[in-house]
Amino acid sequence: MNQDPALVSIMRQGPYLIASIHTALDDSQMVRFQHDLVDKIGRHRSRGVIIDVAALDVLDSFGSKTLRNIAEMARLRGAQTVVVGIQPDVALAMVLLGMGTVQVETALDLEEGLAYLDDAVAPRAAVDARDGRP
Amino acid sequence: MTWARRTFPDVSVTEPSGADAVPPGHPEVSALIPIVRRVVGSRVTDRTVADDLVQETLVRVLAAEGRVEAGMLESYAIATARNVVASMWRLQDRARRNQHRVVDLRPPPTPDEDLLAREEQTAVVRAMARLSQRERELLLAHEVSGRDTRTLADESGSSAGAVAAQLNRTRARLRVEYLLAVEGAEPPTDRCRPVLLALSSGDRRRQREVDADRHVVECELCARLSNPLLERGQPRDDVVRIPIRTDADIVAARRAAREMAARQGFSSTDLTVVATAVSEIARNIVRFANAGVLVIELLERPHAGVRMVAMDNGPGIPDVERALADGYSTYDGLGLGLPGARRLMDEFAVASEAGRGTTVTMTKWRRGGRP
Ligand SMILES: [Zn+2]
Repeated sequence: MNQDPALVSIMRQGPYLIASIHTALDDSQMVRFQHDLVDKIGRHRSRGVIIDVAALDVLDSFGSKTLRNIAEMARLRGAQTVVVGIQPDVALAMVLLGMGTVQVETALDLEEGLAYLDDAVAPRAAVDARDGRP
Repeated sequence: MTWARRTFPDVSVTEPSGADAVPPGHPEVSALIPIVRRVVGSRVTDRTVADDLVQETLVRVLAAEGRVEAGMLESYAIATARNVVASMWRLQDRARRNQHRVVDLRPPPTPDEDLLAREEQTAVVRAMARLSQRERELLLAHEVSGRDTRTLADESGSSAGAVAAQLNRTRARLRVEYLLAVEGAEPPTDRCRPVLLALSSGDRRRQREVDADRHVVECELCARLSNPLLERGQPRDDVVRIPIRTDADIVAARRAAREMAARQGFSSTDLTVVATAVSEIARNIVRFANAGVLVIELLERPHAGVRMVAMDNGPGIPDVERALADGYSTYDGLGLGLPGARRLMDEFAVASEAGRGTTVTMTKWRRGGRP
């Protein structure tokens, strides 16, 4: 089953996938998002994944764990993951909660996320990405 | 609407009819309602029908009393009387239109409506019957005859405050008995009626005394009845209850907690902190219990704060100490998320009983003194 487009979007940009969460998700929506995203990583043989969570009001233990799962599964499929847009309040609550973000790469925003991926994945892929080639 | 175009002979019923129109056991009802009787009487010629409608109007007014502003009750009663008459006309009209259909295999357009109307009337009569004679008299004297609490107090040799309190209790009881009659259910436990009464009267102290929130989590009937009772009888908005059953309820719970904390002037960081803790605790309920509730209460003393009490009917946490210990949060079992939530809160307490459920009480105070 596909994710409701109003909740999240997953766009392909060259060798990267850019997944944006548009609103607060409940746990089952979060799990569906994980499945959809991992599925697309495999299908498009993506090299990098950016997850934009700027719209999330809360990243609790389950949300954090799901992001870690995604990153781990992506890694096993040869893709790097970077989470962008964690709100400062959300980040602080995560730290207090004890859910360190260390296991997942983070960046301030989409632009920094792309820059990170360009550095992290093979230079060849980065060039392709800028030229819009798959 | 059909009924609006019809003309009805203007027949005033100036005297209350005998007890024939009123169900047995309610001899005082028909004597106490001159204004409603006038409204109904001017529209309905059949005296028996009029009496039925007067009584239905009266009880609807009583049941709605909590929602109607003081001073507006008479206009509300008049409007209700008109509506009751109008809905009877609609029912009659439909019955007439359907009469010629000797055999009609099609389902009626709204199969439940007549039945519902009849059931509601029965429920009303049964609810009234549960009140004592004295309770009925007092209620009707005040609400329908419009005698104020001072006059009533003088008559009965008590104080206006005591009469007002008695009236509130009686209204609360009527609402409870009405809902029970609609459900057609006898409460399964001795605790049900006291709990429902406490909810109906909106008396927070009494609710705590009878442990109402906990009972509602454990009792299906009271859970069902608590919603209409709380909607109706609660002008106060410093307490909200969020039922927790599904994933979506977790989102609703943290949203509600955030809104309540925002009203207390919490910083945006603390709003997120509160929402995160609620998310953890609510998830515990969804994962390990059938049902639960989150009660969010605004605190003013010693300064502004929010208290959140999460209750469930789950299996209980066998070892609360261990569940609260750091590192336990990685364990995917009962009590998951407790240590994290505790770190986010100023006060945190867990009470758990095997087979009965868990109650988590957590409080966050607003930082930075008084408003
Ligand atoms: Zn009960």
